[in-house]
Amino acid sequence: MNTDTLPGTRKLALVAAVFVLAPIPIAGSGYGVGVLTRVLLFALFALALNIVFGHNDQLFLFMGGLGGIGAYTTALVADTVGVTAWLALPVAALVCGIIGLSVSWISARRRFTVILISILTLNLQLVFAEAFIGARDLTGGSTGFPYELFSISGIAGAVGIPTKVVLYYVILAFLMAAMVLYIWLINSKYGMAFEAIREDEAAAESIGIDVVRYKTIAGFVAGVIIGIAGTLLAREATYITPSIFTFLAVDVIALVVLIVGGIRRTYGPIVGAVVVEAIEAFLSNYAADWRAAIFGALLIVLFLYFRSGVIVTIRDLLEAYDLVSSGGSGGGGTPAETEAE
Amino acid sequence: MVSVSTLAAITIDGLAFGASLALLGVGITLVYGLGEVLNLAIGAFAVIAAITASLLTSGGVPLPVAALAGLGVVGVLGLVIDRTLLSLVYRSDGEERILLGIFTTLGLAVMLEGIMVNFVSSRYSLPLDLAPVDIGTTVVTGTSVVSIAVAAVVLAVLFTFLNRTFLGKATRTIFQDERGAQLVGIDPRKIRTLVFVLSAVVAGLAGLVVAARSNIGVGNAFQFTTFALIVSIVGGVRSLVGAVVAGAVLGLVNTLANFFIGSYVATVILFGAAIVFLLFRPEVMSS
Repeated sequence: MNTDTLPGTRKLALVAAVFVLAPIPIAGSGYGVGVLTRVLLFALFALALNIVFGHNDQLFLFMGGLGGIGAYTTALVADTVGVTAWLALPVAALVCGIIGLSVSWISARRRFTVILISILTLNLQLVFAEAFIGARDLTGGSTGFPYELFSISGIAGAVGIPTKVVLYYVILAFLMAAMVLYIWLINSKYGMAFEAIREDEAAAESIGIDVVRYKTIAGFVAGVIIGIAGTLLAREATYITPSIFTFLAVDVIALVVLIVGGIRRTYGPIVGAVVVEAIEAFLSNYAADWRAAIFGALLIVLFLYFRSGVIVTIRDLLEAYDLVSSGGSGGGGTPAETEAE
Repeated sequence: MVSVSTLAAITIDGLAFGASLALLGVGITLVYGLGEVLNLAIGAFAVIAAITASLLTSGGVPLPVAALAGLGVVGVLGLVIDRTLLSLVYRSDGEERILLGIFTTLGLAVMLEGIMVNFVSSRYSLPLDLAPVDIGTTVVTGTSVVSIAVAAVVLAVLFTFLNRTFLGKATRTIFQDERGAQLVGIDPRKIRTLVFVLSAVVAGLAGLVVAARSNIGVGNAFQFTTFALIVSIVGGVRSLVGAVVAGAVLGLVNTLANFFIGSYVATVILFGAAIVFLLFRPEVMSS
């Protein structure tokens, strides 16, 4: 893919640069790097949700479960076949992509509404969660097993920087690749078809757009990204248990991230992840017991009042009072820097 | 081989579990049928009622009073939530309202759970201290029999209310034709409030029934919600009779599978049933 033809390449490069530099002031703090890594991971989940829900009206509420399938598949393939996790990851991503594809295909063929898809995938999430605990022979049940794949500590030792920092850069590379894919996708004929289908499905169909095909493609792409994000989430935790992949631990957070950043906005997932993880880091330091309660309240307020995105709403307000000049879409630069402190 | 009496005992236990499932299913169906809000916080109502009653009984309050107090607490909570949160949700229409309902009640569930863990973090039960009941050669637990009886009576009262009283008939009219109901002078918003409070109390009762048979904690809230969802999907989300039948059948199937195959498979059967129904009868969820 020729990135020169990509719109907004400079902006993406700027965001990438900010994230490349972000760990430097805090490299000594494992905690700080952990927070930054979670920013990247949830940006990745939210990016997948943006494609499949934002652009395709398919509300996937089994991101945790699908991410778990990715993580367990990577480990099992690497273990049973005896290959490096780098080769197992594409297999796992493909498996997740096929699951996403199947759900989207069935839903599109049967003309499921967004509500029906959300309830179907929520049920799948619960089945997956049960399976992770129940299939003890494969997953180690609720106690799980250590997850230190990708020989990152080897690389870290050779280069002489902490394992967590190396992992951060690996995940950053995946996020940036996903961003390039997203920007290309949305500006291609696929993006145009997504937009047409979202505006009016029947009209899109009448001008010859294959609705089922485009929705299925979106489901596949989201499935692949979620599978990779799930694997990296387990790697970040260095230990895999079913509790990492619950509905409340992944789907709820990814939804909040997407809505905070702004649905269908290119940098929405990144901005949202920075804001949400900053709040989460603050809460776990000062009000750990109230973290869940505050996130629940946040979810309510966000959906009732800020559905177009907190960033969008705030900028609209500022523009209304002539505090900033209009134009320019939300960047990831400034919030990322405050986060890095 | 399993003896007939064991099988009968498991069946009664299954029906007792089915009774709580039916109540949860009815709770979710009432609200969805009337206002298209899929109440994902319903499990929290069940848990709040059960824990309130349990704390009161251990504080020396007689069981019936404690149970009523538990139901009263969720009733008031339901009223407050309806007047605040749901009023905001009802401002939108159609698919947008359904989505908004899902997200706000999900947020509410997370919030209520998050608040509760700070105060009531252990596990609670509501022992009825009943002697086992002998039915011929079969011995069944008294609690299971009482659970089934209580659920049956409450459901019968609920159905009588909906079928026989003016308020009930008005409610059913809105189920079928909201515009028509408005034309004959029924205020849908008031009926929705009434029904939401009713559903909260029914869910609370489900929580009490479960707590009578086992320990429950705050962590069970979301599990109850998923059970309610499954029942309403299998029973058809607008059909109260469907919810009752689906609850009883799923409770029975789950308990039998639990006994013969194992708890893990039993749970997967529950979710599997919901998925199969969604795939083959998706119209149950459509508006």
